[in-house]
Amino acid sequence: LGAGQSIQQTYDLTRYLEHQLRTLAGTYLNYLGPPFNEPDFNPPRMARAERVPSATVDLDLWRGLTDNARLAANYRAYSRLLCYLRVLDGQVGTAELRHRLSHFCASLQGLVLSIGGVMSSLGYPLPAGPVGPPGPPGASAAPNDFLKKMDDFWLLKELQTWLWRSAKDFNRLKKKVPPAVVTLRLEARGF
Amino acid sequence: QRHSQQDSHVQYERVGADVTMKCGSMDWDAAVTWTANGTDIDESHLNGSYLILKNVGLSQSGQYFCYEGSSWHLKYQTNLRVGTPPKEPVLMCRSNNYPKGFYCSWHLPTPTYIPNFFNISVIHGTKDMVCEKDSPPKNRCHIKYLQLFSTVKYKVTLTVTNALGKNFTTLTFDEFAIVKPDPPESVVAKPVPNNPRRLEVSWQNPSSWPDPESFPLKFFLRYRPLILDQWQHVELSDGTSHTITDAYAGKEYIIQVAAKDSDIGTWSDWSVAVHATPWTEEPKHLTTEAQITETTSVSTSSFMAPPTTKICDKGAMVGS
Amino acid sequence: GLVQSCGHIIPESPVLALGSNFTALCILNESCLDFGNIYASQIIWKIKNRVVPKEQYREINRTVSSVTFNDTSSLATPLTCNILADGQIEQNIYGITVTVGLAPEKPKNLSCIVHLLSRYTPVMTCTWDPGRHTFLDTQFRLRYRWPEELFPDCIPKDVNNSCTITDTQFFVNTEIWVEATNALGKAESDHLVVDPIDLVKPVSPQNVSVSSGALPTGLTLSWQNWIPEAMMKLKFNIRYRVVGDTNWTEVPSEDTAYPRTSFNVQGLRPYTEYAFSIRCMKEDGQGYWSDWSEEKTGITSEE
Repeated sequence: LGAGQSIQQTYDLTRYLEHQLRTLAGTYLNYLGPPFNEPDFNPPRMARAERVPSATVDLDLWRGLTDNARLAANYRAYSRLLCYLRVLDGQVGTAELRHRLSHFCASLQGLVLSIGGVMSSLGYPLPAGPVGPPGPPGASAAPNDFLKKMDDFWLLKELQTWLWRSAKDFNRLKKKVPPAVVTLRLEARGF
Repeated sequence: QRHSQQDSHVQYERVGADVTMKCGSMDWDAAVTWTANGTDIDESHLNGSYLILKNVGLSQSGQYFCYEGSSWHLKYQTNLRVGTPPKEPVLMCRSNNYPKGFYCSWHLPTPTYIPNFFNISVIHGTKDMVCEKDSPPKNRCHIKYLQLFSTVKYKVTLTVTNALGKNFTTLTFDEFAIVKPDPPESVVAKPVPNNPRRLEVSWQNPSSWPDPESFPLKFFLRYRPLILDQWQHVELSDGTSHTITDAYAGKEYIIQVAAKDSDIGTWSDWSVAVHATPWTEEPKHLTTEAQITETTSVSTSSFMAPPTTKICDKGAMVGS
Repeated sequence: GLVQSCGHIIPESPVLALGSNFTALCILNESCLDFGNIYASQIIWKIKNRVVPKEQYREINRTVSSVTFNDTSSLATPLTCNILADGQIEQNIYGITVTVGLAPEKPKNLSCIVHLLSRYTPVMTCTWDPGRHTFLDTQFRLRYRWPEELFPDCIPKDVNNSCTITDTQFFVNTEIWVEATNALGKAESDHLVVDPIDLVKPVSPQNVSVSSGALPTGLTLSWQNWIPEAMMKLKFNIRYRVVGDTNWTEVPSEDTAYPRTSFNVQGLRPYTEYAFSIRCMKEDGQGYWSDWSEEKTGITSEE
């Protein structure tokens, strides 16, 4: 698959994941129950939730990211988000929600893979070092159920925001990396 | 000869209040004359030298003067302003130029008839953000995004104060929730020669949308023959043109377009309506204003389109 | 008579390729030789109850006799080694079951189709041509993977030419192939590398309705698309006929080649009842057409 095609595919996957998460997050927050499923719920973000990779970025910095840095940031983020989400998936009580979460986890893993594929097709190395979360999310598990739910709330919100950011990231890459040119450049380097 | 001196100031009173005015330093039993906007006030409103105004109304706003009986020296002057304390202001924040920033605009649900002073504070997490105010009388100010893709909500508090009271309102929202582009511009609809059922529609991104390359818009096109009420809809995720392929032959159509960021936020309002009639065997004078007016500016039709339906009007949207 | 087992055959219960040659050895126990006064030369090979022609025997030594079959298709179960003891009484020494069959052929024509059981439950069913009958117990496994992730095999149930993967992921190129394995060997189909989104057979358009149009010669068809746009953009085919007629007319496909939820069908006869049906497919032509929707009728207005 040429770089342009794999970027398009990754972009499509991002939008599909974002679409899935919209309803999945709603279902999950209803599963958590009030106040988590109230639209204006705006809890403080505890230290644990701060460890979830944040999509927030300085506007000019984001604009100026190189393609490699842009992809690497996405790769690292989803690798860690996937680990947190898998912990979530393992604790859900209802079969339907568990099925949808595990389907979503598999899709998210596909996204990590796709991003890796795009990086390889553009000749970039995959980010070194631990890509998973610093310690298992449970390492400093929430002391009580309410705080655990708060962590889940922030995980889903950050994930949704990352997917919005990634859609813009890949859209930007799509425009910069037409399929043919890249293959030519790679061949010129004797790949 | 009335001599004006003494201290003059503005006096604010609520509608319905009872107002008593003293004639400056004059004793209660001193002989005085009160005027309002140059007209002598009837003695019935006086209690000694005090002016008594019961259950004041808006019409009683004005310049009040008190003259000493014999010398006609001006002893007291005030500008009475009758009004109301401000109700909770209506505040709306919106980003029509994402990701540059967003603006907030506000108004009071009911007039107060006296000057109001607005103060707005925008807080993002723990950070205070500057809101660049438009020059009056526009009740609007603009905030620049310093960061993007934030999960922290923005909190905007608008406080309104006037002489009679104070009120405020607070909005808390996510960055993405307020993204709403302006309607598409330069909408043009043209018949397709030799195709009695086709209409070619083209438009441009709203000029206020700063970076359609990185933040592409998708569009919603609705069209109907003038003789029918039911709209037809098509959602288009890329490109700024579309060919309608099922137009009723010979029927004049009304066409509008709306825009939305392809991932976040809400739909814009509908664009100004344009009209067009599909190509017919015998050339007919094209009714599209767009054909007549040379400029590419969006054509306004002689037939005034119904007031732009709010995009979220359930009836207007199919499969939303 | 002889009570204890006086010999055995090797190989034990072989599985043999049809048409190949096969040799079995019957090995007599030394203890039986002395006791029973029996020798390899007295061995008689039988298939079921039929004696194997002596030309196929060979006395390897005093205790071992072999039998050779040039073509295993004549073989059957059991193959027994017997001895004609004391001159008259035939005594069975040992027997084996012989299974004859074929190695699996390379499974061919692997093709897959994705259905949506619910909005977020894409299920992929793959079918293939299992190849010739092998006469043996042959396992088929549908295998699929991403570059760094091998998924659990899909094991067909009660059939050998199809399997359904219940959790399919879109927008990631997936390598899919079939493996057939039996005692005589293993074969692997060609590998399909495809994005399952390009294999979808969508659910047909739902809630189809017909309303009168702006002309007596037109009717407006409306419907709802079950598939979210974020998953797939659709194109459509619309067909219609006069109720009672059998011939369908189709709207030119270029007129319905993009996502939409309604269409004005024109060129109809006034004051006539028409039946309509619609189907959909991925806009870029990948995948399969949906089934035709249920028919809905409408009557054009009078002239």
